[in-house]
Amino acid sequence: MRDTTFERELHKGSAEMLILSLLEDGQRHGYDIAKIIGQRSEGHLSFHIASLYATLYRLERRGLIQGRWVEKPDVRRRRYYRITPAGRKVLAAQRSRWEQFIAALTRIARLRSA
Amino acid sequence: MGETRTFKEEVRSRLARLGLPPDRERDIVEELAQHLEARCADLVRAGRPEAEARRIVVDEISGHEAWAQLSERRAPDPSRLGEAGTGSALSRVWGDVRFGARLLRRHPAFTAVAALTLALGIGANTAIFTVVNAVMLRPLPFADADRLVNVYETNLARGWSSFSASQPNFLDWRAAAKGFERLAAWSGQSFSVSADGAPELVDGIAATDGFFPLLGVTPALGRNFLPEEDRPGGARAAILGHGFWLRRFGGDPAVVGKTIVLTDAPHTIVGVLPASFGWGDAQIYVPLAPDPQGRRGDHRLNVMGRLGPGVTLDRARAEMVAIARGLEQSFPDTNAGWSAALEPTFDAAVPEQIRRALLLLLAAAALVLLIATSNVANLSLARAAARQREIAIRVALGAGRGRIVAQLLVEALLLALGAGLVGLLVALGATQALRAVGTGIPRMDEISIDARVIGFALLVSSLAGILFGVVPALQAARRNAGGTLALTDGRLGGARVRGRLRGALIIAEVALSVALLWGAGLLIRSFALLRDVPTGFDPTRVLTLRLDLSAARYPTGAEVWSFYDRVLAEVRTQPGVAGAGAVSLVPLGGGGNTASSLRIDGRGDGGRLPSTDWRIASPGYFRALGIPLRGREFDARDGAGAPPVAIISEEAARRYWPGEDPLGKKVVIESFGRDPATIIGVAGDVKSFGLDGPARPMVYGSQAAYAGWRRFSLVVRTQADPSTQVASIRAAIAAVDPGVPLADVDTAEALVERSLGARRFHMVLLGCFAAVALALACVGLGGVMGYLVSQRTREIGVRMALGARPRDIFALIVGHGMLLAGIGAAIGVAGALWLTRVLESLLFGVTPTDLLALAGAVALLVSVCAVACYVPARRAMRVDPMRALRCE
Repeated sequence: MRDTTFERELHKGSAEMLILSLLEDGQRHGYDIAKIIGQRSEGHLSFHIASLYATLYRLERRGLIQGRWVEKPDVRRRRYYRITPAGRKVLAAQRSRWEQFIAALTRIARLRSA
Repeated sequence: MGETRTFKEEVRSRLARLGLPPDRERDIVEELAQHLEARCADLVRAGRPEAEARRIVVDEISGHEAWAQLSERRAPDPSRLGEAGTGSALSRVWGDVRFGARLLRRHPAFTAVAALTLALGIGANTAIFTVVNAVMLRPLPFADADRLVNVYETNLARGWSSFSASQPNFLDWRAAAKGFERLAAWSGQSFSVSADGAPELVDGIAATDGFFPLLGVTPALGRNFLPEEDRPGGARAAILGHGFWLRRFGGDPAVVGKTIVLTDAPHTIVGVLPASFGWGDAQIYVPLAPDPQGRRGDHRLNVMGRLGPGVTLDRARAEMVAIARGLEQSFPDTNAGWSAALEPTFDAAVPEQIRRALLLLLAAAALVLLIATSNVANLSLARAAARQREIAIRVALGAGRGRIVAQLLVEALLLALGAGLVGLLVALGATQALRAVGTGIPRMDEISIDARVIGFALLVSSLAGILFGVVPALQAARRNAGGTLALTDGRLGGARVRGRLRGALIIAEVALSVALLWGAGLLIRSFALLRDVPTGFDPTRVLTLRLDLSAARYPTGAEVWSFYDRVLAEVRTQPGVAGAGAVSLVPLGGGGNTASSLRIDGRGDGGRLPSTDWRIASPGYFRALGIPLRGREFDARDGAGAPPVAIISEEAARRYWPGEDPLGKKVVIESFGRDPATIIGVAGDVKSFGLDGPARPMVYGSQAAYAGWRRFSLVVRTQADPSTQVASIRAAIAAVDPGVPLADVDTAEALVERSLGARRFHMVLLGCFAAVALALACVGLGGVMGYLVSQRTREIGVRMALGARPRDIFALIVGHGMLLAGIGAAIGVAGALWLTRVLESLLFGVTPTDLLALAGAVALLVSVCAVACYVPARRAMRVDPMRALRCE
């Protein structure tokens, strides 16, 4: 059975940060984003397609990323996403919160294993 | 297998139920289908056969829940709650509402259990409030009903504080009183209506012409009585009640001006009342035509007044007392000792005792809701544990304490309001049942759900929502404010705090349940004792029915007696009849004041004794009803012209002839006349007015004693089920005079049961509340113990590994549960000792500290709690130590 715990967490915020950080250094399309997350997490993280695009659309609605259809000759048009300045700001804020959060987790985990 | 669908079709079919705008849907379908094609192509590139790759992709996109996220109407992501300054406060609340609704939908089991529990509590409260609203809060259904007062005559020396008025006194009041906009009098009367051959006895009233204007009622058809109709010898007019008009005249609008024969006298129908008007069972109204030449000592009228503008009750009362004092001086013979008293009509219609009892029941319902609320709070606490990670992440993302609390509260309120709606439905059903049970409560027919009831349900739901929402919410916020401890799965401090809270909630539930059970126990005991009270007669297999003879048909006393003699003789010859008699008012059948003064020659104060109730009884009455008698019954010797005789009750004998044998003594019963009557018998005491009061002294006169009395109840003792005898008795009466209608056909047992109506209402309701409370407390305790067992699995495993036997584990868990129950019971007993004092007025034969009721309540609760602990304890016994330890 698929472990959905992580996915649930993704809905709750980390997914947004992951997406924003992947878009930090260039525009990507949805499948690209999913693939990179899968590869870099060595298969531990996976998105349900609907969750992924729901998150993308939501970020877009909030003006943190911008999606647009790109048409090239001989290739089907594709939708690419890029991060906005507002998105960079939120990403920075979320990063620092997650760092604190993970630090706290680690501290507690160490306490317990000691 | 059918045709393989394209990825576009796969996506489109999943989006279909989201109701997206067509353009938007087309874009999404294109983008997602591309994604899936790319994924499929990658799989094929990795070496999968095309078909298998497709299947994998289709498999990966299953799951309704995930697709729902693509709905454009969806709630904001919880993480957004952390962002300061997004949107207005209103849109944030709306977001909370939608988010809460989604969460509740996602946990249908929790939502259903919590909502049903609450709905039960809210329903109970709303149902009782519906009664309170109809009976106590709504004004009487008349214009400016709070200005209406009842006016009584009083004779405090004889113990009469609210007596009927006499006709001349009423007329003098009406002429003299300035503090009233209007004074009107009425008196109950029944009419024999003989349409279509069969005569029917219809209840009605005779009222003065001011009666309808006083109540602010205008006839729907025709007109009110004219002043000239309301005088002795005035034209005979009648106004019909709406129901009677529909039933007997088919709602004929041309009925005004027609003639109706009422008790052998033709009356002109002058009006029809609106459907909204009702006055007890009255269906026909005639002018009272009070007679200024009538007897001042003959008190039969009910008097009502409407206070004049700006006139206070006290001022009007002072005025009436002054007028009565003037009458006392003018007519010392009849009015000496008589004064006047006022009471708001509402207070008379809804007696203090009823109001107190209803408020008590409302309080009991509130306790049930408190118990339901603690159960839901407990459930929420358990869920809070499961939601710690979610909350922790939201806090990590910067959601403030206020936002978390607000979100949890909104969720709780949402749940509570949903439960409130279901509760309203519960109440709707319950009020139907209440109406059936509440035979002893006034105004039960006015019960309906109105805006106030709905407002009450909303208010109660919101309060309950806040109550059960605030505990887990504050707890969550407090824990999370300190950092991210919550992510440790509740095995550190948080769990202990929650454990204590849950324990406290259970203790509170048990305490409240004990109080309710105890109260219910007291009422049940009272009811049982009351039913065992000897009525003084034997009600088994006795039929009673009422006859009323018209003065036109039976003008003289002799004719009346002859009629009843013949009817009784005829009835007694019917097969299956064991005995028959007649009495002016049947015990426990209701009826007006029948008080008379007694005078015994040679006693001080002119020989006058306090008031005594009187009845007129036919020969055979005592035997038919099974009332024990010393001396002899009335018989043929006591007919017209014979020397007056009387039978008195044991209580009268004890009171007025203490230490003497009253047989053969003489007494003047003023209501019957001035000649002394010889006491020929002493009858056993009969509970004529209710089982809960002491037996009042009673004197019985023979039919010869009161020539003007035409209205008697027949009492027929039968050998088999009395209801099978109705037809033959009806035939026996018709054989004597087919024109005499009968009414109020009943069994004596039904009369006894009905006299217990209000008490049964209280007992049944409080009993239901106690049962619900008990069930809720049991479920709550079981739930908490089950949760505890799951929390302590590791500890139990360790204990077992160290040699504890399953028996010890069982004892440990049950012991823990029973400790909670014990503490709760102790607190409940202490609280109830104080609380049950308010029950005192509803009790009969038991004191609030009745040990049997107390012991019963505690024993019942403890055994139910033991059962509630049993299941989790059994589970604990079966814990596998190895598995439990491996969990870590």
